[in-house]
Amino acid sequence: MNGPGRHVRAYLSLLAALYASVLLAGPIAPYDPNEQNRNAPFAPPTRLHFVDADGGFHLRPFVYRVVGRPGRFDEYDEDRRERYPLRVWTRGAPYRIAGIVAADRHLVGVAEPAKLFLFGSDQYGRDLFSRLLFGGQISLVAGVLAAGLALGLAIILGGLAGFYGGWADEAVMRIAELFLALPWLYLLFAVRAILPLHIGAGRAFLLLVAVIGIVGWARPARLIRGMVLSAKHREHVLAARAFGATDLYLLRRHVLPQTAGVVFTQLALVVPQYILAEVTLSFFGLGVSEPLPSWGNMLAAVQRYDVLTSYWWMFLPGIALSPVFLLYYALANAFHQQTARPS
Amino acid sequence: MRYFSRRLAHGLFVLAGVSVLSFVLMALAPGDFLNEMKLDPRMPPETVAALRDRYGLDRPLPLKYLHWLQSVRHGELGYSFAYNSPVAALLWPRARNTLFLTVPATTIAWLMAVPIGAWSASQRGRWGDRVCAAVTTALLVVPELLLALALLLFAVRTGYFPIGGMTSVRFAELGNFEKFRDLVVHLVLPASALILLMLPVLVRHVRASLIDVLATPFIQAARARGVPQRRLLFRDALRAAANPLLSLLGLSIAGLLSMSLVVEALMSWPGLGPLLLEAIAARDLHVVIGAVMCSTLLLLAGNLLADALLYMTDPRIRTDQG
Amino acid sequence: MARRIFARYLAPALVTVWAVTAGGAALRSAPPAEDLLVSRAEVGRSGDQLVLSQSAEPKTLNPVTVVDVVSRTVIRCMMADLIHVNRETQQTERALAKAWTVSPDGRRYTLTLRRGLRFSDGHPFDADDVLFSFHVYLDEKVRSSQRDQLVVGGQPVGVRKIDQYTVQFDLAESYASAERLFDGVAILPRHLLEAPYLQNRLADAWGMRTPPEGMAGLGPFRFKQYLPGDRIVLEKNPYYWKADRAGHRLPYLDNLVFTLVPSDETQAMRFQAGEVDIVSRVSADTFDVLARTERTAAYKLYDLGAGLDYSFVFFNLNDVDPKTLPEVARRQTWFRQVPFRQAISAAIDREAIVRLVYRGRATPLWGHVPPGNKVWVNRSIPQPARSLERARGLLKTAGFSWKPDGTLVDARGDAVEFSIVTNAENKQRIAMATIIQDDLKQLGMSVHVVTLELRTLVDRVLKTHDYEACVLGLGAGDATPNAEMNVWLSSGGTHLWSPEQSRPATAWEAEIDTLMRRQMTTIDSGARKQFYDRVQELVAQNLPLICLVSPNVLVGANKSLGNFRPAVLDHHTLWNVEELFWRQKRSRVGP
Repeated sequence: MNGPGRHVRAYLSLLAALYASVLLAGPIAPYDPNEQNRNAPFAPPTRLHFVDADGGFHLRPFVYRVVGRPGRFDEYDEDRRERYPLRVWTRGAPYRIAGIVAADRHLVGVAEPAKLFLFGSDQYGRDLFSRLLFGGQISLVAGVLAAGLALGLAIILGGLAGFYGGWADEAVMRIAELFLALPWLYLLFAVRAILPLHIGAGRAFLLLVAVIGIVGWARPARLIRGMVLSAKHREHVLAARAFGATDLYLLRRHVLPQTAGVVFTQLALVVPQYILAEVTLSFFGLGVSEPLPSWGNMLAAVQRYDVLTSYWWMFLPGIALSPVFLLYYALANAFHQQTARPS
Repeated sequence: MRYFSRRLAHGLFVLAGVSVLSFVLMALAPGDFLNEMKLDPRMPPETVAALRDRYGLDRPLPLKYLHWLQSVRHGELGYSFAYNSPVAALLWPRARNTLFLTVPATTIAWLMAVPIGAWSASQRGRWGDRVCAAVTTALLVVPELLLALALLLFAVRTGYFPIGGMTSVRFAELGNFEKFRDLVVHLVLPASALILLMLPVLVRHVRASLIDVLATPFIQAARARGVPQRRLLFRDALRAAANPLLSLLGLSIAGLLSMSLVVEALMSWPGLGPLLLEAIAARDLHVVIGAVMCSTLLLLAGNLLADALLYMTDPRIRTDQG
Repeated sequence: MARRIFARYLAPALVTVWAVTAGGAALRSAPPAEDLLVSRAEVGRSGDQLVLSQSAEPKTLNPVTVVDVVSRTVIRCMMADLIHVNRETQQTERALAKAWTVSPDGRRYTLTLRRGLRFSDGHPFDADDVLFSFHVYLDEKVRSSQRDQLVVGGQPVGVRKIDQYTVQFDLAESYASAERLFDGVAILPRHLLEAPYLQNRLADAWGMRTPPEGMAGLGPFRFKQYLPGDRIVLEKNPYYWKADRAGHRLPYLDNLVFTLVPSDETQAMRFQAGEVDIVSRVSADTFDVLARTERTAAYKLYDLGAGLDYSFVFFNLNDVDPKTLPEVARRQTWFRQVPFRQAISAAIDREAIVRLVYRGRATPLWGHVPPGNKVWVNRSIPQPARSLERARGLLKTAGFSWKPDGTLVDARGDAVEFSIVTNAENKQRIAMATIIQDDLKQLGMSVHVVTLELRTLVDRVLKTHDYEACVLGLGAGDATPNAEMNVWLSSGGTHLWSPEQSRPATAWEAEIDTLMRRQMTTIDSGARKQFYDRVQELVAQNLPLICLVSPNVLVGANKSLGNFRPAVLDHHTLWNVEELFWRQKRSRVGP
């Protein structure tokens, strides 16, 4: 197997940076994702200013406090009397990194009572930017875990089917067809309904990942089976078998590595699909639910007529998916090009 | 012939397997559609129990399944407790509406994808191909939900198109031509959503297959012989690329009933998607199974059709299978 | 000579006799003049159709077996009852019965029917149809959803025909405002439904695929057409028994079209575009969006204030088996303590719910009868402001304390943590649960919000009792307490926190049982109000349901729609559909 090409490395590092920023949501986000500001529902994104009301220029950007118009539900005005400069590495709401290390420093923030709503706020006045980062932890990680599970299953089952052929092949392929024919939506629905109450949001999320992953093993399995089938007949494999190599050895050393390129490409192609699966399920209320933020349940708010027509920043969880998908497809492309090169 | 009878047999096996699996899964989730009525304070428990009894919701699972198989034999596909009608009567109009949306969308998508993909393959590496790649990538990364919501917003803001639905309110009063026009106007936005979603995948596959084919010696030879580019592309190369393209067509046909679930749900198109969602919510067991059967049937039909076309056009398969 | 006698005397005599008898016969067989009800509403013009939207499709058109709200809305436009509750005045008025007398002990009602009325297919209506209808509703084998409404004192009402236009009803015991029993009990056509009934096929009759000729009713409209997945069309009933003051027969509208619009948002968009003429019970956010363009638009919006609905949070107080549901059982030691529930009620920010969830279009509640129910609400129930201090004090008296990090722990040292379930389809309830969760966090409780699909949720609450706390809402069908017997009786099926008890579990539940039974059989409305006031007091003190808010009833209609007088009782917009009319002739609207 070739070492990772230049492009592959580049995209991988970009993805790593993305995931790092999402996993480090604690310090990067200015606020706790569940902190409600009941006086500021649906506040538009806070404007960063460099020039104040008297025309003076400031190098350090600042914000004004935003006050709701009396009697109106969602209209706000800036209070230009006082400036609140942007603070870096400031104290804020406490959080835990990886659930263990407690800290309370945030990358950016402003002094109370002003609020830094970089992407606006939602119905309860919760900062959308913070929720986007924490929500990314759910949506993005769910995709990766589910893809890992699906591909793991695909490698095992597809590999065995292709290698041994015969009734094993028939059996696995028929079961694969069954899975491909099942609509995964109501499968997830049924499972969610029988989940016990006390499982806690974390474990419910893992179970959801498991179900999405299990439903999706079939298509990559067929591909891997095909590759294994053709690899099986290659000369060096036949030669090794003639020398008395065991099946397991052949699988491990000769056959499966041939499929590595395809597996990685599939992985990069499939993760966005699973991220979208989680988002779609949460959107229809069948996935992660309040108050745990997920890009799906955040986007669901856009279905409301008032949100659809008036609060454009609520679209951002959906728009945020595009650069993520772009990175994954570029990565898949890079993998594909790398493996398409003659070995 | 043996090939096809085998494929048919295993298709039926898949259908049966899916029905059993779906039944078991529906049974796992608790609750049935009479529960909502229970919350109405005017209903005493005896009435609810009696109704549950009449609808036979207490019978054990294997009996329920056998009862359902019987009704399949009679062409009814089971009975819907919520709608009080045989499932088949519910499914066909909805499936017809879905096909009414997806068939034109798929046709247009293919009609656009083949020339664009072919042209892009021939322009490989040049700016035309690059622009094409950029546009398809841009479309590929837009999630279905976002696209449907954006189109809905577009309809609200501009008022050029109706906001969801399949027909307008006064449909029944219109003349035949106007009826057709009304349907087309309602079709535009949901179909556009589907086309925009299908296009990048199709274009890329067409392009990839054609690039492979264009590199083969047989095409190079034809080009050396002076065959004009367009004929080369559309007659010879396409025919050689038939194998992967027909598989793709099979997949497209297979997805005709199930691809539009999200678009139908968000744009109120009265197809199979919203019916499935409602039936799941209503725990209307037989409707769910029936809808699943429908899309499974189409999936198998699509695969079979693709295999048949392949069989007819690709001599290699014929010799392989005998 | 004989011929002369015949021509002079006999023939004319014969002719006269013939004329008299034939004429008399003709007179006797002429139908009696119709007893029309004259409406006191504004006189309108006939013509055009009304387009409405529904979030789901009607499942059946059979009044005997209907259970869902959507089908009921359509059916009530095609049917009529004997005595009707006027949704505007909330009082009973004459309908198919033009007069009635009550015996002194309140147990016998004698109704006189209108004469000369006909069903929508032209067939005449008389007491036989009434008898048949009640026979069907009360037949246990038919299992009609209406049956329980007609059972008083454990006995079904007795129905007897006195003559062709008089029917007598006997109740087993005196029943408060018994006339209201007749509201909504649709009178069925004997000539169409007797045959299926005798063959035990009544439940299958009048499904959605019935041809229009197979149905008939006494309502303002009759069934015309059904397009599956799209709409159902009703046309005017030419034999309807109401007329306006100018003598024109009602209804004014030619057609009634119910279109299927599954989502609230699309409904609002269609209404704004003029494709739908009336919207009923829109959510507050949609209402505000529509309000922005109201001045220049063709529609008018109405905020009718608090209705009869009330939302609440309640705890699982069932006798849960600790072996099957150990976590729930453990937590119930907290839930059962009244100070615990009172503390939760004190900590909830009802004002935030009104503002953030309903944009101000709701009323906070401390008792279960909303102010929209002007006749029955107990105005002396205390309405304390939100106070975390008071909540903490209450928790302390119940033996709770706080750890240094702020977590609330009980007397044994266990952290207070539980989950609230609610149904996923109802965005308002999810929002309320989210706000409550944040409020309780400030008391040191850790609360999870779990959304489930409605059927699953109801199953857990009513059958398996596998839940801890729940946010739900109820909407009474009628203003009187009798409509909610099943909620407040401890044996009731919707006694949500602990349904179907064989014996009341607590003293206050026993007291509520007694009070509810007494108010049901007391005729004196003053005494009834006192009993029900006490029920409300007990509920507000013991908090089996912690009431939150009552959402306002928000409707809208096209400005040119005449006689549109929305009401707080269901059906808010169509209760007087026969009186609605278009002021101007409608031009084609929409694509």
